[in-house]
Amino acid sequence: MSIKASEISDLIGRRIQNFAGGTEARNVGSVMSVADGVVRIHGLADARYGEMLEFPGNLFGLALNLERDSVGAVVLGEYKSIREGDAVKTTGRILEVPVGPELLGRVVDALGNPVDGKGPINAKISAPIERVAPGVIYRKSVSQPIQTGYKAVDSMVPVGRGQRELIIGDRQTGKTAMAIDTIINQKDSGVKCVYVAIGQKASTIANVVRKLEEHDALKHTIVVVASAATPAALQYISAYSGVTMGEYFMDNGEDALIVYDDLSKQAVAYRQISLLLKRPPGREAFPGDVFYLHSRLLERSARVNEQYVEMVTKGRVKGKTGSLTGLPIIETQAGDVTAFVPTNVISITDGQIFLESSLFNAGIRPAMNAGISVSRVGGAAQTDIIKRLGGGIRLALAQYRELAAFSQFASDLDEATRKQLERGQRTTEVMKQKQYAPMSVAQMALSIYAVNSGYMDNVPLGKVVAFEAAMQGFATSSHKAELDAINAEPVLKKHEATLKKIVENFVATGTY
Amino acid sequence: MADRLTVARPYAKAAFARAQADGRLGAWSGALARAALAVSDERVRGLFGSPRVTAAQLADLVSDVAGAELDQHGRNFIALLAENGRLPFLPEIARIFDQFKDDAERVVDVSITSAAPLGPDERSKLVAALEKRFSRKVRVEADVDPALIGGAVVRAGDLTIDGSIRARLTRLAQELTA
Repeated sequence: MSIKASEISDLIGRRIQNFAGGTEARNVGSVMSVADGVVRIHGLADARYGEMLEFPGNLFGLALNLERDSVGAVVLGEYKSIREGDAVKTTGRILEVPVGPELLGRVVDALGNPVDGKGPINAKISAPIERVAPGVIYRKSVSQPIQTGYKAVDSMVPVGRGQRELIIGDRQTGKTAMAIDTIINQKDSGVKCVYVAIGQKASTIANVVRKLEEHDALKHTIVVVASAATPAALQYISAYSGVTMGEYFMDNGEDALIVYDDLSKQAVAYRQISLLLKRPPGREAFPGDVFYLHSRLLERSARVNEQYVEMVTKGRVKGKTGSLTGLPIIETQAGDVTAFVPTNVISITDGQIFLESSLFNAGIRPAMNAGISVSRVGGAAQTDIIKRLGGGIRLALAQYRELAAFSQFASDLDEATRKQLERGQRTTEVMKQKQYAPMSVAQMALSIYAVNSGYMDNVPLGKVVAFEAAMQGFATSSHKAELDAINAEPVLKKHEATLKKIVENFVATGTY
Repeated sequence: MADRLTVARPYAKAAFARAQADGRLGAWSGALARAALAVSDERVRGLFGSPRVTAAQLADLVSDVAGAELDQHGRNFIALLAENGRLPFLPEIARIFDQFKDDAERVVDVSITSAAPLGPDERSKLVAALEKRFSRKVRVEADVDPALIGGAVVRAGDLTIDGSIRARLTRLAQELTA
């Protein structure tokens, strides 16, 4: 039998001393019915919307429906011990979760309790899970990039700090992989990450945590888990718990990234709660407020200005902006982006990355469809070198797509058309990238420069990937200083000659 | 199905307004309580929905049980309920009516559960304190529950004032295990 540190008699004595005895006057109701995690309570006239309710046995619920004679609430946790007639008390508080740097490196449930067996989390403060997003005057436009480490993403759909970029695609198209790689790539950038796993298999979550640990990325990450086995109420609130934990960093003038994996499951959990609470169903049986469910969540991803940070920290942090970048994930069914939840989230976010199973199966990984993937604000945040070089990529791929469809009918093509096709094919090859292999800005610039400038035109199509890998290996081993210089100051004008030199050196000497 | 209280509320409200205008709150309350008792009876219940009994007959039956205190308005009220098939809701109507009546007369029902029987002195002190707290007259219903160990629990509607030793021990236990 283990004895906890809190069981030292001195400590117990102090707690008894500090215990505020006396009588308590509280609003009490009684349970009318319990079913599927939803409780109807008679009385409780003073309950407020979203307030925590206390059930016997240290159980808590959330008041979600305030009706004339009853209150509808969801139970946060196991509801089997609740009986008809049990007394329910109001608490006067809304749900709070612990926040702070102490949570980094930990795996917690939707209420902030540790589930990784690494002992208690000694977070000093907690924050309510529902909060209004920062207002207009406290915001700053997106101007700094967040590097995902993917050539395809960073060159064509750049994501800025404070942006909301949706990752959308069918099952098994690499959505989670893209998000995890982005977290891994923040190892040295100082961006704190929150990964919210909603409605996923516990085994999948364990895999993700292990991968993060293997790549030394867990130490700057908080994993919030609401697996498929947890009650719908917890799956629903886990996204808000996660964003609250991320907001702490934003409020303190730091940069943070939050991944919601995935919001389709969260919407389904919310639909379950709503239907059980007898709210009228709408399209696809979702309740009327699914749009608000996601919009209020994603609005809390923001870039805030110095005044805001100073105000929130009461002058402790000065002259620093904060940001919370959001990467929501939506799973589509058979590529149908016109379903209710996908259209909602597409319209809320500042851009989307479309992943397609046909591309994935054709070996193009990441399976991003460059034609319909966009980033509405990220361009302002892109590094100069990638911005200038990436423009060529987008163009080459767009022209390639147009011609590829057309050229299927034409037997012989003129020289210019053939060249365009070949360039497009090679660009597509170069955009391929392995999982867990994020690239630095300089490495990306090198690959993109090589293909844009035609150095790969004479490389057989099947060898392009090998050519690129060998070139990267060559650059890291013999031109490390130059790469570091590019990373330090990513401006094309200054380094174009360096890139040219590295590529030409490799073409002259390298083997692949 | 709409909540029973939702159905009963407009009837109770209308009855209350009539009774208040006539200044016969007490009489109405008594009559409604008896009528409620009548419709709760198994034998009367069996008549609801029976094709052999007309609404008027049902109304007469219930009105007769409700007694002489029921004036013409009261009889009309019962007849209306029978016509609308809402006689089974009389218990709820009577309850809501009494709530309105208590509100109008500034009286509150309080149940006091104590560990030991209250002495007359304690009781009057407690009643005085509660009347001050609610700024209303207090109608006390006392009860004894030794499981409270000590102190008392006061319940008035949704509000519970728990000053028992048992509640304090429970909270101390929660505090120590938290």
